[in-house]
Amino acid sequence: MIRRNRAPRYSAAALLWRGARNDSWPRVWRDPALKKSYDVVVVGGGVHGLATAYYLAANHGIKNVAVLDKAYLGSGGSGRNTAIVRSNYLTPEGVAFYDRSLDLYNTMSADLNLNVMFSERGHLTLAHTDSAVRTMRWRAEVNKLQNIDSSVIGPDEIKKIAPSLDTSPNTRYPILAALYHPPGGTIRHDAVVWAYARAADAYGVDMHQKTEVVDVVCEGGDGPDGKGPGAKVTGVRTSKGDISTPVVINCTAGWASLIAAMAGIQLPITTHPLQAAVTEPVKVFLPTVVVSGSLHVYVSQTDRGELVFGASVDPFATYDMRGTLDFTEELAGHVLELMPAVSQMRLLRQWAGLCDITPDYSPVMGFTPVEGFLCDVGWGTYGFKAGPVSGEQMAKCVADQATPDLISPFALSRFDDGVLVGEKGAAAVGH
Amino acid sequence: MLLVPCPHCGPRNSADMSYRGEASSRPDPASTTPAQWRDYLYMEHNPAGWLRENWYCSSGCRRFFTVERHTVTSEFREPPLPGSKTALPLSKTAEAGAGTDQQGGEK
Amino acid sequence: MIRRLEPQSGEVIDRESPLKFTWNSKKYVGYAGDTIVSALLANNRQVFSRSMKYHRPRGVLTADYWDPNTTVQVGTEPNVRGAHRLLEADMKVSAQNAWPSLDFDIKAANGLFGRFLTAGFYYKTFIKPQRLWPLYEKVLARFAPGGVVDLNTPHGYHDKRYAHPDVVVAGGGPAGLAAAISAAKAGMSVMLVEQNHRLGGHLRWGTDQDRETADDLEESARDAGVEILTDSAVTGRYDDNWIAISQRDHPGVVERLIKARAKTLVVAAGLVERPYVFSGNDLPGVMLSGAVRRLINMYAVRPGNRAVVLTANAEGDAAVADLERAGVEVARVVDARAGETISKAAGSSKQLGSVTLADGSTVKADLLVTAAGWTAPTSLLNMSGDRPSYDPAAARFFPTALPDNVIATGGLVGDGSLDELIAHGISSGELAAQRAAAVKHRLRSTVTRAQNPQGPEPPVQPDRRIGLSRAPHPELYRSDTHGMVDFSEDVSSKDLVSAAAEGFDSVELVKRFTTATMGPSQGKLETVNTVAVLAEARGETIEEVGTTVWRPPYAPISLGALAGRVFEPVRVSSLHEWHTAHNMTPILAGQWIRPEHYGDPGAEVTNVRTNVGIIDVTPLGKLDLRGPDVPKLLNLLYTNKWSKLPVGRVRYGMMCAEDGVVLDDGVTGRLGEDHYLMTTTSSGAGQIWQWVEMWLQTEHPDWQVHVTPVTTGLTSINIAGPKSRELLMRLVDDVDLSAEAFEYMNVRTGTIAGVPDCFMWRIGFTGELSFEVHVPAGFGLHVWEQLIEKGADLGIGPFGLEAQRIMRLEKGHFIVGQDTDGLTKAPTTGLRALIKLDKDDFAGKPELEWALAPEAPELPVLVAITPTDPRLVPDEACQILREGTTEIVGRITSSRFSPSLQRSICLGQVTPEFAAAGTTLTVRLCDGSDATAKVMEHHAHFDPEGVRLRG
Repeated sequence: MIRRNRAPRYSAAALLWRGARNDSWPRVWRDPALKKSYDVVVVGGGVHGLATAYYLAANHGIKNVAVLDKAYLGSGGSGRNTAIVRSNYLTPEGVAFYDRSLDLYNTMSADLNLNVMFSERGHLTLAHTDSAVRTMRWRAEVNKLQNIDSSVIGPDEIKKIAPSLDTSPNTRYPILAALYHPPGGTIRHDAVVWAYARAADAYGVDMHQKTEVVDVVCEGGDGPDGKGPGAKVTGVRTSKGDISTPVVINCTAGWASLIAAMAGIQLPITTHPLQAAVTEPVKVFLPTVVVSGSLHVYVSQTDRGELVFGASVDPFATYDMRGTLDFTEELAGHVLELMPAVSQMRLLRQWAGLCDITPDYSPVMGFTPVEGFLCDVGWGTYGFKAGPVSGEQMAKCVADQATPDLISPFALSRFDDGVLVGEKGAAAVGH
Repeated sequence: MLLVPCPHCGPRNSADMSYRGEASSRPDPASTTPAQWRDYLYMEHNPAGWLRENWYCSSGCRRFFTVERHTVTSEFREPPLPGSKTALPLSKTAEAGAGTDQQGGEK
Repeated sequence: MIRRLEPQSGEVIDRESPLKFTWNSKKYVGYAGDTIVSALLANNRQVFSRSMKYHRPRGVLTADYWDPNTTVQVGTEPNVRGAHRLLEADMKVSAQNAWPSLDFDIKAANGLFGRFLTAGFYYKTFIKPQRLWPLYEKVLARFAPGGVVDLNTPHGYHDKRYAHPDVVVAGGGPAGLAAAISAAKAGMSVMLVEQNHRLGGHLRWGTDQDRETADDLEESARDAGVEILTDSAVTGRYDDNWIAISQRDHPGVVERLIKARAKTLVVAAGLVERPYVFSGNDLPGVMLSGAVRRLINMYAVRPGNRAVVLTANAEGDAAVADLERAGVEVARVVDARAGETISKAAGSSKQLGSVTLADGSTVKADLLVTAAGWTAPTSLLNMSGDRPSYDPAAARFFPTALPDNVIATGGLVGDGSLDELIAHGISSGELAAQRAAAVKHRLRSTVTRAQNPQGPEPPVQPDRRIGLSRAPHPELYRSDTHGMVDFSEDVSSKDLVSAAAEGFDSVELVKRFTTATMGPSQGKLETVNTVAVLAEARGETIEEVGTTVWRPPYAPISLGALAGRVFEPVRVSSLHEWHTAHNMTPILAGQWIRPEHYGDPGAEVTNVRTNVGIIDVTPLGKLDLRGPDVPKLLNLLYTNKWSKLPVGRVRYGMMCAEDGVVLDDGVTGRLGEDHYLMTTTSSGAGQIWQWVEMWLQTEHPDWQVHVTPVTTGLTSINIAGPKSRELLMRLVDDVDLSAEAFEYMNVRTGTIAGVPDCFMWRIGFTGELSFEVHVPAGFGLHVWEQLIEKGADLGIGPFGLEAQRIMRLEKGHFIVGQDTDGLTKAPTTGLRALIKLDKDDFAGKPELEWALAPEAPELPVLVAITPTDPRLVPDEACQILREGTTEIVGRITSSRFSPSLQRSICLGQVTPEFAAAGTTLTVRLCDGSDATAKVMEHHAHFDPEGVRLRG
C-alpha cells in the first residue's frame, strides 16, 4: 500500500460519485519542469524505468528521481508487447526471478490502486516433437521444485482447456503434449505503465516525456571525454537541458547499446524488431495463452475479443520498426496449423517493437565498469514480464550499493568470465 | 521484404539469405586473451547507422559476403556488383571496429 | 415506406435477378448487385448492429467498406463488411453484437450508465476485492464485439501469387485509372487494384457524365493491357516496394495474397469522408453525404423521408440534389461555408427524430446528412516513410516527402476538376513509368544472367508534375456538443477531453487510454477527429498535436489468405513407401518422417543383438568433401586430429562452436586420396554444411576443398547384428568383408546387390558388428529389399529409431542436443582424449584450453546411471537432487529399459561432486517421489569392452 500525497484513490464508489456530479478526474501525473540535479536519473519511461523509480521512492525513500523518455511513457516495448506473464522458466535462478515478478503482478492492482487487469488464465506451451516434450518436462520438473504450478499434459487435456486447438495426430506439427502453467496469463500492459507512473508521481518522482538523452557525462575514464571503464558519471545531457546526477540507470530497450555507448560501455547486444499483430474482435473462444516454440508463435485472446499474436524476433538486426509481410504470412500459417477454424478471421494491425538480444537470452543487470552507470537492459523478448521485479531489484541495487542475489546471475561481467546463464540451455535444445 | 545485394546473384529477397551478423575479425587462437576472445564471441557495436555485416546467400550462390547496411533506413551502401572487384572484403580482412564509423552513432 | 426507388441511371443492381437471403433468420429478397446493407435498407431494415460498449442501435453511416456500423456475420464468416460485401443467393446474414436480439438488447442498459462508463473506467474500478476481478473479467468478455468463430470452420482454399509488375496503382478512381493507362502506354506492365467492385471511384455515384468518363477510362485501361483487380486492396507497402495485395476477385479462391515487387507504386487511394462530431451523431438516420449518394445512385435506395443536410463542400451540395431527385424532402440545408452548423440530433433509440441547429432552432427529420470534409487515407504513404502534414486551409493532411519509388496522386495530394485530376493521374503514370524504367535498368545490370540493358542507366526523373490545387475547406470537426468520435469503440469526444484532462494528453496516450482508432475501421474515420478534439482540449493546433502512425494492413486481410497453402514439406527417404507398407509407426524427427518402430522396438533390439537388423539412417547429414586441403578443414572443425587418417579409414569426431560448446558429432571416412565423406547428426545437417562453408569462405579461402551435400543423394542403411557380415557377404563380391581384411572403423567402396560405387563402413553406434552402407538413392529400395530377401533365413528384420536409441544408450553413446545442451562444453562429454590442445587451431580451442586449465571451475559431467530399482525408468529430464534438499545437482538426459540387460539404463549430467563411479544419486521422479540411483564406471552399460562391435 502506498501513501499518496496528491492523487485521489480510484474505486467504484469514487467513479460513481464523480460520474453523478459530472466531476472530472485530476491528472494521473504531473508535468514537472526539469530540475538541474537529481539523485538518480532513470533513462527510459517504460515498465522497467518507472518501476525502478517507484521502488526507489517507495522502498528506499530516494525520491529526488527523474525518469526521462524521448517519446511518451510506455512508448517502447512496454506498450508494444503481447502482455503475457509467466514464471515457468528453465533455470532455478530464472524461476525465482520471474516468480517474484508474478507475485508483484498479482497484487499490483491493489498495491498501486489501478486495475491492471491481470488475467490469470493459464499458459500452454505446446510440444510438437519428442525432444520438445523432453524440454517441457525439464521445465516442469525444475518448476515443481520451486513450488511453481507447472506440469506436462497430453492432447486430451489440452483439447479440454483449449477446444479450438487441432490435437489430431496427423497434422504437419502434431501437438504431442504441452507444458501447462495455470498461474500464467495476460495483463493490460499500458495500465502497468500508468500504475507505476502514477504511483511514482505520488512520491514526487519527476517524469519527463519527450526528453531525449543525448549524452552521458563522465569523468576519469580511460576512453575519450573521460568515459569508459574507470569513469564516474556526473550527469546527462538531454534535449531539454543538462542534469547533474551521480547515478544513471539505463532502462531502455532498443536503444540500450546507444545509451551505454554514451558512457563508453559496450554491450553484448544486437537489436532486432519483434513483431506482433492483432485481429478483428470475435466472441471469446480461446480461454488461455497458447505458445508454440517450434512454430514461433504465441496467441491469446483479449477480453475485447481480438486475437493477439507474437512470434520470434526478425532474422536480422535493425532499428526499423515498420514491420514485414513475411512475419504476417508465417504467423498466419502457423496459427492455422494450430487452430484451423480461424482462417476467416482478419488481421487488423501489425506493429513492431525493438528487442535487445543477448547471447544467452538473459538480461544485463546491475553495475558496469563505469561508476554510477547501471544497466537494466538486454531483455530480449521477455522484458515486460520481468518489469516489476527488475524495478524492485535495481532500486535495491542502487540503495544498497550492492548487487542483490536475485539479479547477480545477470551481471555484465559474466561475458568476461564466459559463464553464461542457463536459459540458453533450453533455447538451444532442438525443438 | 528487404532486397539484399548479393555480389553474385544480384538483389535477392532477404528470406533467401541467412543473416550472419556484424563482421568481426577472429583473434589468433594462439595468442588471444580471454578478454579479446570473449569480445569476439559476445560484444557487438550494434550501431544505429551504418553497419558492416555478413550474409550467406543460402538459397542462391551459397557464398558469404560482406555489405554495409544502414540499420535505421535499411539502405545498402555501395552495393557490390557481381564478380566485380569492388565487392567488400570478407570478415577476415574487414577492419577491426567495423560499424563504428562517424555515422555510427547517428539516430 | 417504399425504400427502393424507381430505376436510377447509375444503378448497379440487376432487377431481373432477385436473390433470396435471410437476416436474423427472417427471409428477405434483394437484387444481384446489392450489397447486404442496400438490400436490407430496401427492405426497410435500418438497424444493423449494436454499439460495442453502450449497445446503442446503429444504422448506415458511410455505406462503404469503412462503415463501422454494418459489420455482420455471414454463415461461418465473422465481421463481414455488410455495406461492401455483395449479396449472394441464400446468404445467411445475422447481426453480431446484440443479445438477445437486435431489436431488444439487454446490454443497452449500459447506455443508462454511460456517464460512469467513461473511457478507462475499468482501470479505476474492480480493484478491490481483487479476487472478484476474474468474475468481472468474464462479464466484460461477454461484451466483446464481433462475430462468432465456428470451431468447425474448414480451412478453405487459399493461394498465393508472386508478381513482378513495373507499376502497381492502388486505387481505381479517375486519377488512379489515368495513371495506370499512361504508365501502360509508356510500355510498363501495370496492376491496378481497386477496393470496390467497380472502377471509377466517386464517379460511380456521380452524374451520368461522370459515369461515362469512368467507363471510358476503364475501357482505355483494358485496351492498354492494365491488369485490373477489383474487390481487392493493396494492404501494405514494405521494404523495397514489396507490395501486398489481397485479391478477392480470383475465381475459385476466396481470397488470394499477391506479393508484388513493384518498381514503382502509385498511391491513388482517394479520400475518406469524415463524420462530424455532435450529440446524437450515431443515431440511425445520421449519414455521411457519400452514403446517401451511393445509396441513391448505385443501389436505388431512398435513405429517408425528410432530411437536414449539413454541407461544407460540393459533395454535400450534390447530395442535396440527389435527395431531391429521389423524392426526399430536404427540410433544411445548413451551409458550413456560410458559418452555419448544427448543434445536435435527437430521436428515439432507433431513429433520428430532429436536428437542433446552432441557433437553437429544431427541425424535424429522419435523415441528417453531413458533408464535413475528408480524411486522406495515407496509410500506404506512412508505410513508405512519409509523415503527412496538416493544412488548416484545406482541413486535411497531405503527403510531405516520399521515396522515389512511391508516387501519390488524386485526392491524396489535392483537389481540382475531373479533368485536372485525370491530368495529374496521367503525369503521375508517366513519372511512375520513367522511374520504373530506371529501376528496371539497374536490376538488369546487376543480375549476371539477366538480359543486359542497352545504354547508360536513365537518371531518376525529378517530379515535374503540375500539382493539384488545394480547395479551401472549413475546419469542421465538432459542434458545440459532444458526440461519437470512434463508432466502433464507442468513444466520444467527451471521453477524449476527460482523458486529456487526466494527463493522457498526447495522441498516443489518449489512443491507448480510450482505445479510440483501435477498432476495425482502423482510424480511417476516427483518427483526424481524435486529433482535432485533443487539439481543442489542449488549446493547440492539429499540426502541433500530430497524428498516430498508420500501420499495415491498409484493410484487414484474412488469416487464410496470409497463410496460403502452408509450404513446409516433410522429408522422407527413398525407403519411405516400404516402411509405410510394413507397419511403420512414424515419428517426426526434425524435418524428417522416420520409422519409430515396426510394432515392437524391444523385439527389434533383441533381434539385432542375436541375429541381424537393418535401419534406414538416410537422414544422417552427409557431406562429400574433395580436395587436397580436406585434412586441414577436418583439423579445424573437429577437436581431434585428422592429418594422418589413411585412405580406407573412418574416424569419429566432435565439433565445437567458438565458445567450446558441443555443436555436432559424427564419423568421417577417407574414401580416396582427396575424397572424404563426412556425416553429421540428422538435425545438424543443414547447419553444419553452412558452418563448413563459412570456415572455408571467410577464414581460409585459399584452401582447396569442395563441399557437396549428399544427404538425400545417398540412401543410408545400417546393417547390425552378429549375422550382419554373413548377410552382406551374400550381396557383395568385390570387397573382402572378412574381419581381417575389413576392420572396425574402416571404409570400402564396392558393389552391393549389383549397385556399383556404394560406400560401406564399419562403425558401432548400436554396439554390434555393423556395416553402414551408403548407396545411390535411386537404388536404395533395391538394396534394402535385397537385404530383406537374402537375410530371411538369418532372421533379418527392420528396426526403427526407438530400437536404435535403446541400443546406443546401452552402449552409452550420447546424442548432441539431448544429452548435451546449449551450454555443454566438450569436456563434459567425457571424451577428453578427443580434445587435442596441441593442434594449432580448431573451432573453440581457446575456450576449451581455458576450461581444461587446472584453475578453471569444474564442468558438469556426463555419466551413466543405474537406478537402484532395476525396473524403474525415470522420465528423461527428471532432476537429480542433493539428498534431503531441493538443490538441483544434475538431470537424467536419456533413459530406457534395456531389453538386453533387463534393467533400467540412463545417461545424465551431474555436477563434478556427484560424478564419481559408485556415487548414490537422488532422482526426483515426475510423480514427486524420490528414487536412488548409482553412477556407473563406464558410459557403456552393455559390452563396455566393445568385443561385439569389433568382431
